[in-house]
Amino acid sequence: MAARRRLKRVAASQSGFLSFKSPSDPTASVGSRRKRVNKNKKKNWNKYSDVNDVDEFLEDVRHQERTTGGLLSEKADDSLFFLDLGQPEKPQPQAETPQADEGRKRKGKASRPLRIDLILKPDSLVPPPKDILAYQQPNAKKLRRIAEKAERLAAKGVVPRKQKRLLNRRPIDRTVKKAVAEANNNPDRDYYDIWGQEPKVSADPWYLQQTGKKLVKRPAKLNEKPSVLPAVEVIAPGGSYNPDFFSHQALLQEAHQVEVQKKKQEDKLERQLAINKKDKATEETNLREQVEGLVEEENDDEELAPSKEDDEAALAAIAVTQKKSEKQIKKEKAEKFKEQQRLTSRRQTERQQQLFQLRSIKASIRQQEEKTKSKQMQRRIKQEAQKAQPRRLGKLKFQAPDLDVQLSDELAGSLRQLKPEGSILKDRFKSFQKRNLIEPRERAKFKRKLKVKYVEKRAFREIT
Amino acid sequence: MGGLQKKKYERGSATNYITRNRARKKLMLSLPDFRRLCILKGIYPHEPKHKKKVNKGSTAPRTFYLLKDIRFLLHEPIVSKFREYKIFVRKLRRAYGKTEWSAVERLKENKPAYKLDHIVKERYPTFIDALRDIDDALCMGFLFSTFARTGKCHVQTIQLCRRLTVEWMNYVIASRALRKVFLSIKGIYYQAEVMGQLITWLVPYQFSHDHPTDVDYRVMATFTELYTTLLGFVNFRLYQSLNLVYPPKLDSKAESELKEDDEEDYAMNSESYTEKLSALSSSLARVVSSEEEEDAKLDEFPDEGEDMEKMEAREKEQKQLETQKKIFEGLKFFINREVPRESLAFVIRCFGGQVSWDKSVCIGSTYDVTDETITHQIVDRPNVDKQYMNRYYIQPQWVYDCVNAKIRLPVEDYFLGVNLPPHLSPFVEEKEGDYVPPEKLKIMALQRGEKLAQQDEEEEEEEEEEEDENEEEEDDEEEAEEKNLKKMEEQRSQGKSLQVKVTPGKVKVENPARLEQEEKAEEKRLAIMMMKKKEKYLYDKIMFGKKRKVREVNKLAAKRKAHDDAEKAKKKKARK
Repeated sequence: MAARRRLKRVAASQSGFLSFKSPSDPTASVGSRRKRVNKNKKKNWNKYSDVNDVDEFLEDVRHQERTTGGLLSEKADDSLFFLDLGQPEKPQPQAETPQADEGRKRKGKASRPLRIDLILKPDSLVPPPKDILAYQQPNAKKLRRIAEKAERLAAKGVVPRKQKRLLNRRPIDRTVKKAVAEANNNPDRDYYDIWGQEPKVSADPWYLQQTGKKLVKRPAKLNEKPSVLPAVEVIAPGGSYNPDFFSHQALLQEAHQVEVQKKKQEDKLERQLAINKKDKATEETNLREQVEGLVEEENDDEELAPSKEDDEAALAAIAVTQKKSEKQIKKEKAEKFKEQQRLTSRRQTERQQQLFQLRSIKASIRQQEEKTKSKQMQRRIKQEAQKAQPRRLGKLKFQAPDLDVQLSDELAGSLRQLKPEGSILKDRFKSFQKRNLIEPRERAKFKRKLKVKYVEKRAFREIT
Repeated sequence: MGGLQKKKYERGSATNYITRNRARKKLMLSLPDFRRLCILKGIYPHEPKHKKKVNKGSTAPRTFYLLKDIRFLLHEPIVSKFREYKIFVRKLRRAYGKTEWSAVERLKENKPAYKLDHIVKERYPTFIDALRDIDDALCMGFLFSTFARTGKCHVQTIQLCRRLTVEWMNYVIASRALRKVFLSIKGIYYQAEVMGQLITWLVPYQFSHDHPTDVDYRVMATFTELYTTLLGFVNFRLYQSLNLVYPPKLDSKAESELKEDDEEDYAMNSESYTEKLSALSSSLARVVSSEEEEDAKLDEFPDEGEDMEKMEAREKEQKQLETQKKIFEGLKFFINREVPRESLAFVIRCFGGQVSWDKSVCIGSTYDVTDETITHQIVDRPNVDKQYMNRYYIQPQWVYDCVNAKIRLPVEDYFLGVNLPPHLSPFVEEKEGDYVPPEKLKIMALQRGEKLAQQDEEEEEEEEEEEDENEEEEDDEEEAEEKNLKKMEEQRSQGKSLQVKVTPGKVKVENPARLEQEEKAEEKRLAIMMMKKKEKYLYDKIMFGKKRKVREVNKLAAKRKAHDDAEKAKKKKARK
């Protein structure tokens, strides 16, 4: 606004400034007929007023401002003119020598500014307009007032609520990490007296039970061991690293027995799988097979004859079943009655006779009781023995591990030369199985899902 | 009459059992997790009595669990932990697949873990229960602690096992609880008596592992997981009972002795302490100082005659035990490098001996070879270059045999290069009338204090060998032996208590004793005469059995004699 005002002022002071209404060229208007125009419309103002001179003038002013930074008429004389005293003689060669040196070095490029810089350099001396928004603050007044109020309160010693809440907050200790659940096999874990103190029940037992947080009591039956075998079965005395001769022999004998048993079973299987010699084809059987049906059988007639006889017999049997006469029926009835009577009387006499057999009966009863008792005993013994046996817990039966034995020539003379036999890991594993703690299993076999296709590589094929 | 028709397999044993797969589905766990849970909780498969009924008519072999057990498992808080872990693994795998390393890091930080403390408490309600089941835990601990750290199981597990077993050994040393040791071809069997419980465990020889393929390592690791927890708590309680500091600390005195400059050669600083503990060469720190060792005697309550006898027997036993605990007291051992150090150090320290080894073998050696006060040096090689005059050079078996015999055995049989007597199993207990190897007889005689006679005999034998006696004489001796055997047989058949020693008759004139014996025999004969027919028959039968046994034993003894003679002859030939 200020610039525009100044412009107006400048324009007014300038000589030759024409009034708004005057036509641009008085001579031209004289020649042609003056056109009448209504001037009460803005459109006509724009259309029929000549503003070229004003534009030119303003352009000139702008040009001056651009090139010199202000109107030339307002500038002081000193800034426009200088006194020409001719070229200074002396300092030139002095100034020239270092320049020449540098020019030789840098070929005169460094002294000149780059062309691109020149292009980019602002060529106007008018300062850029100030961006008001850059330093204006929205709501400045309100904020200022709030700040003033806060200052006043702070001077009084009143802490604002927000800050108070911050101050009151419990400090978080960032240095302590969240309690990480410790792994079970951490070698530095600590132990405590687990059987010493009873754990305190913090909450209401009813609440714990209802929310499923209470530990369920373990049934006492679960603490029974599934086998009576001891955890560690000590090897027989023959398994010593330096055994007594006989105990070693005894152990060898035992191992031998096991091997023999195994061999027996293997042999049995082999025998069962062997081909029966009778089933094998011989020349004779081959021949018979080839001639089958070609040679006539001779004894056909003989076979036919007895079949006829059979038929006759069957017919006779049917004929016999005729109706009985009344007399016959009566007779049979009487006979039946008689027979029954005879049997009852006989039973009675027998019962009477038993009175005299009391002793022998008693003896037989005693015998029977003894027998049952012995059977019970045997059954109990068997059951006891069964307790130490591994049970059938899965698909596979428990297979006893091989006896660990060193032959006489394998025995080491001293502890230093001893070669340990068998693996304790396996021993422990088998022991778990034997005591029914785990079911015997086989390692899962690797099964290939997709077939492998074998292709002979070309390089290889070329050789062969 | 009437009512609904009963359906099959809806009541009775069919509903008491559940197959493994159904149990697994009920718990919503994978098979490995299910198996792990069962092992941890101590729930084992069950063989039903009537398989066909349980299996709904099928006879296919299946694994069954009791339904009630599985219902019990449903309440276990660890089950949810297993599921959490499964999810954790899934997330981790996903993060890896997407190469989101920050997510991997975060997940790993929050890895779910669980504790087995409550399970231990639940399965072993009292300390004694836990102690009864500690055999397995020890075996597994010792086994896993010897594993190489090759990825067959977690390194941390191995370290934990090592720590716990070392603690256990230190406890056994401190309480002098070891009773028997047996060097077998498998490993070393130890037996200790802790709080009245006999505890047996098996320790493998060092570096003897080939990993068998038919063993499920996952199952074994699960057992170990449970047992390490159990063993830790048991150790704590045992240390407490002896007033020892629980994570064990070396005695301050011992520690100062052990201070050496070259500690760093063996282990890093962080590990050197545990290494020193596992060296077993020094005693542990106590909560209360060990000066006022209580010398409490058993309270005596004199009662009736029978009880008195029992009491005396018990006292005698007690005394024997006390002497056994101190067999190596005052002895100073030095272990050569070719001998299994840990086992020997453990055994020697258990019976009060002092032990050391070469500095370069292991950390924690307390004195040098050059120490003049060393009484025994344990060597396992044919000869030693530099021998000191004032010490015995013995083979390691001597230590173990002494422990089993409960006395200090004569050293002569165990010198360098000597053919060792057999190492007998201390776990065999002969009944009356069983065959007893002559070596054991000798030891038993020594235990009874009959030292001289045995030695004399031995000398005689040696003399015989050297003098090359005539064959006739030997024959005579054999005859005498046979006679002796016959006599013994007769004696045994009469049911007399055996005179266990087999010595060719040196007539001892013991008139009163003999008279008494005769009297007893007379009484017995009379009693037999008075028997009823039936009883007599039974008696005869028993006697026959006994005689047969005696005959068998005699046969074995004769065989042994023949064997020994053959050996002797061989030796003679070799010498010629």
